[in-house]
Amino acid sequence: MSERPVITGVGVAGPEPDAAHPLPGVVRARLARTERVTQLVLAAAGAALADAGLADTTGPPRPRCGVVLGTAFGCFLTNAAYQRGLVERGPAGASPRLFAATVSNAAAGELAIAYRLGGPSVTLSAGAASGLLALGHAADLLAAGRADALVAGGADAVGEDLAAWAADGGFGGGAVPAEAAAVVVLEDAQAARARGARVLATVEGYAAGFEPALGAARADGVVATVAAALAEAGVRAADLAAVAAWGRPRLAALVRAALDEALGDARATLGADGAGDLLAAAAPLGLLSALRAVPPGAAVLALDVCPSGQLAAVVARRGKEDA
Amino acid sequence: MITGCGVVSPLGAGVPAFWEALVAGRSAVAPICGFDAGDLTPRSAAEVRASLPADPDRAGMFALRAASEAMEDAGLAGAPGARLGVVLGTTLGGMAIFERWEAVREPVSGIERVPYYAPAVRLARTVGARGPVATTQLACASSTHAIALAADWVRFGRADVVLAGGTDLLCRFVVAGFNCLRATAEVARPFDRDRRGLVLGEGAAVVVVEDAAHAARRGARVRARLAGAGAAADAVHMTAPDRDGAGAARAMAAALAEAGLAPRDVDYVSAHGTGTVYNDAMEAAALGRLFGTRRAPVNSIKGAIGHTLGAAGAFEVVACVQSLATGLVPPTAGLQVPDAGFAHLDLVQGTARRHEVRVALSTSSGFAGTNAALVMVRP
Repeated sequence: MSERPVITGVGVAGPEPDAAHPLPGVVRARLARTERVTQLVLAAAGAALADAGLADTTGPPRPRCGVVLGTAFGCFLTNAAYQRGLVERGPAGASPRLFAATVSNAAAGELAIAYRLGGPSVTLSAGAASGLLALGHAADLLAAGRADALVAGGADAVGEDLAAWAADGGFGGGAVPAEAAAVVVLEDAQAARARGARVLATVEGYAAGFEPALGAARADGVVATVAAALAEAGVRAADLAAVAAWGRPRLAALVRAALDEALGDARATLGADGAGDLLAAAAPLGLLSALRAVPPGAAVLALDVCPSGQLAAVVARRGKEDA
Repeated sequence: MITGCGVVSPLGAGVPAFWEALVAGRSAVAPICGFDAGDLTPRSAAEVRASLPADPDRAGMFALRAASEAMEDAGLAGAPGARLGVVLGTTLGGMAIFERWEAVREPVSGIERVPYYAPAVRLARTVGARGPVATTQLACASSTHAIALAADWVRFGRADVVLAGGTDLLCRFVVAGFNCLRATAEVARPFDRDRRGLVLGEGAAVVVVEDAAHAARRGARVRARLAGAGAAADAVHMTAPDRDGAGAARAMAAALAEAGLAPRDVDYVSAHGTGTVYNDAMEAAALGRLFGTRRAPVNSIKGAIGHTLGAAGAFEVVACVQSLATGLVPPTAGLQVPDAGFAHLDLVQGTARRHEVRVALSTSSGFAGTNAALVMVRP
């Protein structure tokens, strides 16, 4: 078994610019002409890379550094804007600038260019569970030896079109979507040690699954996924110092029941209260908050259940020297 | 291990129809008739013309059909879903649902609630999957990475069997988009000196990626071993490929390294070969970087089935599996006179070539400078 990957930097971006983490000039220049998901990702990843001491913006692409981004809605807003031009004005209204950004991997691509990431550039969607799935996939890529350091996490942007789609039942979460990006720099433990990086946390295990019948009385898939993540981590439920779970208002009761069954008690705190539904950024943000709230060396679990039935869980442990 | 394959292709539904037409050098490119394209220029594409039921989620329907064939091919029909995963690559996914919603703005119902991951979720529900479910979005390299991700899930014990592939559909959104980028032509001529651009296609290709021990226990026939995967970013430009082909070369080199193979071991390269001036030049440069003067046969199936975007890599994998089994490399439909700058490539043109293929390499590249590659080995 290879060593568990480590978190060496964290970054979060929300609707307001973060004055405490100014971005390099070349990145700010890119920021101005990109779509919203990309702006959030550049801000969060820029902070995380700086935190990790890996924020190079010059030189050739770094082949061992990459990005794994999870997003529920990706380029939805750009698609809507492009489509409006096409519908209203015909082919003459099709904007090349907008069409070029109608791919959900636009944010990962911009990030790779800005921070010289020449390794894997992956964008995934598992609905609201995208952020944790991306974190888990990044851990697997590191374990497979395909990279030394990966920016990993979740991001979603909201706007009028997405609000309208959500209000029409698209997504089905029951909460108002809100925008954010929450990412970490996940690094091969040996590579991090070799460059003397500070270890904020260790990703001990992850699991992903599918719950086809979220309307049912029991969520066996949720229970199984939590159990699989704990088993991979070698952590007992009783040893978890905190649990951050996202189930959206419609699923809250079901997820709480599943957590009670999987963990044997009811310590879980469910998110989505007040701030709105942060979609793919919700669970990575929950994971980071949980890690900050526990003592060094303690283990936490993050879980996200998407109304689509896609779900993922990550177990992480706060670094011993992170105080 | 790959233990089953299925496709819904512009050359016909089902692997036999797809492969037979590919080997015969036929092209499915024709004037668009599936939707009103009168005001679009160019207006040719490779549409799926097989008689299929009308479905509000056309891409999802393609994926369901392809997956059903792949499961039957693998002898997995009715398999329990506890250790079954689903990963599909797509760029447009449930775009048909989105286009309809944009037009009428009526409440969205049913399970297909989000444009991109609708097909994967629908497939997961249909086959009763309880393992990991995801949608890879690496633009035109989406399904190449979907198959790599499936192999990782199996390798790290996250699933025994994964339905992996890609699906995309043709619609006004995407044809008008590539037209406005001036990236399209009426005929796709990959690697030709007169290539003018890509022609879009649609369809789905799905393979069964299975744990080796699981396949052995149930006596499954192994079609190919997924020996290595690689992914790399150009980190140069959002829409134009890296002229040096460094990113694509990095992805291919990583896939070969993971497979424990050298470039000289590769018997056949299934190129991305879109037929645009810059893509084909980039790939020729990348292949030159990697292979030097050693010439393995190279083809592109995009002259035959068009550029199926998020499904393109999975279609290539299905074709590679057939090449490993039959010792035939299909010709590059549309290629007449190779570009003089590509003399270092052994391009397969005109008729299919009989050639023993033990190791096949498939490479894909997409918008935002993303590249992915897979190495498949004959069992």
